Amino acid sequence: MANRRVLVQRRKAVRNIHKITRTMQMIANARFQAAYKRAVASKPYTEKLAKLVEDLAKAAKGIDHPLMREPEEGGVALVMVITSTRGLCGGYNGNILRLAGEHIRGLEEKGEQFELHMVGKKGVTYLKFAGWPMDREITDIGEVPRFDQVEPLANEMMERFIKGEIRSVDVAYMNFVSTGKQIPVVERLLPLSGLEPEIEEEASAEAEVQYEFSPDPTELLNELLPATVRIALFQAFSDAVVSEQVARMVAMTAATEAAEDIIKRLTQQYNRARQTAITMELLDIVGGANALS
Amino acid sequence: MASSEIFHCSVVTPERAVLECEAKFVALPAWDGEVGILKGRAPLLCKLGIGRLRIETAAGTQVLFVDGGFAEMLDNRLTILTEDARAPEELDRQAASANLDAARGLTVTDDASFEARQKALQRARTQLRLAE
Repeated sequence: MANRRVLVQRRKAVRNIHKITRTMQMIANARFQAAYKRAVASKPYTEKLAKLVEDLAKAAKGIDHPLMREPEEGGVALVMVITSTRGLCGGYNGNILRLAGEHIRGLEEKGEQFELHMVGKKGVTYLKFAGWPMDREITDIGEVPRFDQVEPLANEMMERFIKGEIRSVDVAYMNFVSTGKQIPVVERLLPLSGLEPEIEEEASAEAEVQYEFSPDPTELLNELLPATVRIALFQAFSDAVVSEQVARMVAMTAATEAAEDIIKRLTQQYNRARQTAITMELLDIVGGANALS
Repeated sequence: MASSEIFHCSVVTPERAVLECEAKFVALPAWDGEVGILKGRAPLLCKLGIGRLRIETAAGTQVLFVDGGFAEMLDNRLTILTEDARAPEELDRQAASANLDAARGLTVTDDASFEARQKALQRARTQLRLAE
């Protein structure tokens, strides 16, 4: 008898959890849609900017900018790790932290000095638990990263890079490839690379547009390059948010399904227990009746 | 005739596409003064300053506050890339006047800080003017 009551109670508890995980799944879904829309909204800006840099690099006959120079000796390597503020998102934070850990160990092996900037409460708590020193904790950027929140971070990085205080900037975050695929990556933000125009002069020479530049191309580039760094960092932040919501959606879907399975199993167990009890009672009654006659 | 004199104009920021429209005339706040754009303009790539962007469409005139960035005019498509673009209704008058006071209080020690102060002053003043 007692066994049945326990089963009913457990089933009730699992049903409650099921309700919660399903709600969280739906919330994550809605947030994902919103975050995805925002991430896509910044694509035109990024693409246009990249195109302009390429055009200008051609017009300016190559680029030489302090942000692109490989630093000489000295300075520390800055590593920024973007994690989430909230949990319950499956392996999301674990994957990023593992990759970031590998990267940092690589730096340590090379004997390089590094500085660790942690974004997101989950990562901060993890590192505190693991006893790793952090140079900076950033926990005020929420689920909707705004450009004016990210901009000062990027500006500070560039300033310190130019001064030679830091020799490189790497950002570890979850890259959003598609809804079905997100991969943790460590992206090099500074020094800037990959901006050299490809040498295929014959093909592109005739198609090239003769722009009117104001001010001249070199000066425009000086303005454009910092803008690309800022947008790259912003993109990392918004990608991270989208990936986080996807991870939460997947985790919560799995949790909801698991809860459904458990409910089914508990119901079966309960029914069996009930049936056994009824059979026992019947046997009792029949046995009693037989004894009387 | 009127319909043939329009060109495409889009304003994008890192956060969103602010505006996509067919414009008759656009006045850009370039870094060194205002630049007017009509259909058929030669390819142009210029740096923007802090100021007022005016777009005249068939439906009327639209004004936006623009905080730096770049403008590209190519094949009758004007693209304005800026880190902040807001309609006057979205500007906060009180915040702008607080920023103006803060900017006035900045101390100038070298060229960089002077420039930063000028920029902050201009940003606050333009916002104040547009918010009215």
